[in-house]
Amino acid sequence: MKVICDRAALLDAVNLCTGVVVSRTPTPVLQCMKLSAADGLLTLAATDLEVGLRLGIEQIEIEQPGEALIPADKLAQIVRACDDPTLTLETEDNAMHIRGENSHFKIYGYDPKEAPQVRDFAGVKVDCEIPAGSLQRLVSRTLFAAAAEHSRYAINGVLFDRHAKKMRLVATDGRRLAIARGECSKGDGDSSCIVPTKALNLVNKLIDDPETTVRLGVEENQIVFAIGDAPDAAVLTSNLVEGAFPPFEDVIPKDQDKRVTFDAPTLAGAIRRAALLTNEESKGVRLAFDDKMLTLSSRAPEMGEAEVKLAAEKYEGESLEIGFNPGYIVDALKVVDGGDVMIELKAPNKPGVIRTGQEFTYVIMPVNLQ
Amino acid sequence: MSIRKLPALLVNQIAAGEVIERPASVVKELMENSIDAGARQIRVTIETGGIELINVADDGSGMQPEDLPLAIAPHATSKIEVANDLEAIATLGFRGEALASIASVSRMTIVSRAREHDSASMINVEGSNESVVEPVAGPVGTTIRVRNLFFNTPARRKFMRTPPTEAGHVREVASSIALSHPDVAVVLEHDGRVVFDLPGGQSAKQRALAILGTELSPELLELNAESDGVRLWGMIGRPGIARATSRHIMMFVNGRRINDRTIHHALKEAYRGLIEPNRHPTAVLFIVVDPAAVDVNVHPTKAEVRFRHQAQVHGLIHSGVRTRLREADLAPAVQFAGGSELKLQSAPWQPPQEFGTGRGSGASDGGERKSAQSFVDYFRQLDPKQKGFVYTEVKSALEKEPEIAPLVQQQNDSNSGGGFAESDELPRVQQAARVLQVHSSFIVTQDEQGLVIIDQHALHERVMFERLKQRVEQGPLQSQRLLMPAVVRAGRAQVEALATLQPMLGKLGIEAEPMGPESVAVHAFTTLLFERKVDPVQFMSALLDEAGDNKFADDPEAALHEVLDMMACKAAIKAGDRLTDEELGELIRFRETVERSSNCPHGRPTSLRLSIRDLEKQFGRT
Repeated sequence: MKVICDRAALLDAVNLCTGVVVSRTPTPVLQCMKLSAADGLLTLAATDLEVGLRLGIEQIEIEQPGEALIPADKLAQIVRACDDPTLTLETEDNAMHIRGENSHFKIYGYDPKEAPQVRDFAGVKVDCEIPAGSLQRLVSRTLFAAAAEHSRYAINGVLFDRHAKKMRLVATDGRRLAIARGECSKGDGDSSCIVPTKALNLVNKLIDDPETTVRLGVEENQIVFAIGDAPDAAVLTSNLVEGAFPPFEDVIPKDQDKRVTFDAPTLAGAIRRAALLTNEESKGVRLAFDDKMLTLSSRAPEMGEAEVKLAAEKYEGESLEIGFNPGYIVDALKVVDGGDVMIELKAPNKPGVIRTGQEFTYVIMPVNLQ
Repeated sequence: MSIRKLPALLVNQIAAGEVIERPASVVKELMENSIDAGARQIRVTIETGGIELINVADDGSGMQPEDLPLAIAPHATSKIEVANDLEAIATLGFRGEALASIASVSRMTIVSRAREHDSASMINVEGSNESVVEPVAGPVGTTIRVRNLFFNTPARRKFMRTPPTEAGHVREVASSIALSHPDVAVVLEHDGRVVFDLPGGQSAKQRALAILGTELSPELLELNAESDGVRLWGMIGRPGIARATSRHIMMFVNGRRINDRTIHHALKEAYRGLIEPNRHPTAVLFIVVDPAAVDVNVHPTKAEVRFRHQAQVHGLIHSGVRTRLREADLAPAVQFAGGSELKLQSAPWQPPQEFGTGRGSGASDGGERKSAQSFVDYFRQLDPKQKGFVYTEVKSALEKEPEIAPLVQQQNDSNSGGGFAESDELPRVQQAARVLQVHSSFIVTQDEQGLVIIDQHALHERVMFERLKQRVEQGPLQSQRLLMPAVVRAGRAQVEALATLQPMLGKLGIEAEPMGPESVAVHAFTTLLFERKVDPVQFMSALLDEAGDNKFADDPEAALHEVLDMMACKAAIKAGDRLTDEELGELIRFRETVERSSNCPHGRPTSLRLSIRDLEKQFGRT
């Protein structure tokens, strides 16, 4: 294999691929990425056996087609550190030479035949299609609420739940629940699966043009994303999270009797200020709604106290004091793309709800403040 | 079978069974008699562990010739006269049965001369046969010689251990009596060899050190406390010299060696969290109370006493010991056992990977080179709350001033002399990290005495524990409600134990209730634990396991501490967690402000110190 690559394009692709590779594994080929040059396309492929990624690069010139399997981190470091506009990749047995204008590297690799299989989109039955921008928004509005480490594995991922052309993503960590809704095209019937957070982080990074289309294939235990149009589409394959997603519909409260609307960035700013005097043991911020005024306050023993006032002209309902983890509220306000949010409450020990129209619903459990 | 009155010898032998168990009991009774007789010198000589011979000679008041036969009669004593005297016993002996008992089970000779007599008198007793009193030559005082102990009670004789074991018991008894009477010279000889020879007129501290071993003296803390007429003086060991047995706990009430469970408990409580639960501190405690406030007539060997105000004694010991430990700097020194235990090898130099961590603190270099004087100035401007903590460190720094000064001088010289110190490319130790994390597990820093090595998990666990404890005292911990209850599978016993846990769970911000016979639903969980990524299900099942085993049965406060400790352990940073500069700095600051930061809540040390003196020694510079 001998290929002349545009370094910037190669760097983008290599960086994305290193996001898949595991750094600590007893199997050296899992620390590698596979390069294949054929038909005017250089394809990079990497997998950790849970998530697999294939990326095509068009900004290249193939002098000799072929394949290579080489350590991902070293390749990434070299491509990152060079400043030549182009780099030449050439294989010699299992090793690869990387040449710039004044530099030459030789990395020892492995036999490409040992590379683990990374799927492409060929033969995948399309479940639905969705504009990349919409998918990206749905993912960012839920991913943050998924459990990072949890014994209930089913919530270590985001639920993809499609009913005909209506798509919703749901995530929870047991203390809050985020639901984002959107439209897709070409969808028939229903489908439902839980996608691990690692794959969705990659999906968000892979989308650079919101106008392109993402094709989704949902299989028995895998989901396949094809981002962009053939032939250089990025294909991400991920195992699904096993288990049943908790019955989340039951926890969305329906009898909230206190409502208020805020400008999201204004509220987020006020909460951040009030949260300045919280610490690990005293994490909560008190929200007191009274007489068209919201008073946010926090108190950490031996540290100090904070109080921030915010007009709440649109508050409907009786006075209420309720505590929340400020981070949980701000997390949601960050992903609603500005504009107004509606907050619905009931009682100090009952959940609060943040909504933007039909698109986003966020349920958040309160903190007991003493 | 007809009932008959037992002969006097048999009565005495039965009584002896209670008082005289082994040679050590004889030594104890005889030495106490000597003390009660006002002796200034006591010489104890034993052979074959005391089985063949025990000889106790004193220079006390001695006995009149006509008193000698009485001395060996049961319940004959000079120490009390009427029942009222029992209310306030100030002498060590009082029951009047010791000599009679010993005489009944041995061959005993008493030689005694009262000060006003020209000659001594002697009496021989062997079982029930006593000789006539005859005059002999002898010094003022009493010498009692006991041979062939238990010669006439073979059953008892069989229970004696090997001579070295018996000698060990004698030594124990003799040293406790010596400990409580530092003004009396005590000599103990075994088979012609001097076991110890303690001069008279020593202070209590000198005597304690002489008995415990002067090499322990840096590990011992002197202790003084008083409350409501109860006085406590003692020497207590740093947690580092805790032992596997409680043999190194010696307690005295009004000079009498006792073994009291209340005092034991108070002492163990004071050390709680500083030593591992199955180890025991080294301690010599002297308690002085009004004789009327303590009943010593509870046990034939007087090993147990009963305090009239038990809680007060408990409180005094607990708070006295605790306060002293809190004042002390408890970081143990790195042990060099003849250079073998810890081998310092000249490791190949490797680029210090984490040198970046402390670059920003270059401005505080001056702080490191503080002379003892500026340290004192610093101390003066501290607020009073912190003063108590650093006081002992300042004191030791002042004592070491002559040592520190030349060291500081050298450092300054090398800085100004070598031109490289200012260069950016070659970081020198002086300007590099003040705090260094090693292998993401240990933190290395320095204090005025030398190098301090900190176990990051142990220290953080202690920090979390103290903060949680403080926080719980102010009110329940903040708790985060759950969208859906977290379900914990548990055995029936555990689910039943949940009810007793409820008051504690309330304080901890945990809301849980039984859900069927074999599971528990958690509705709300401590905010802090969520922040620290502790899983409610795992935590609750660990907690329920402990509760199911009845670990929390009796003492609610101990149980709360136990659970706070579980929380602290789960929430603390682990070995292997890489810390940022800020986190490192914060942890080091906590070490200075948090109580008992020298040990983790399980009692393991959080830090070790390698003093400059040790370093110099290891590098062969002294």
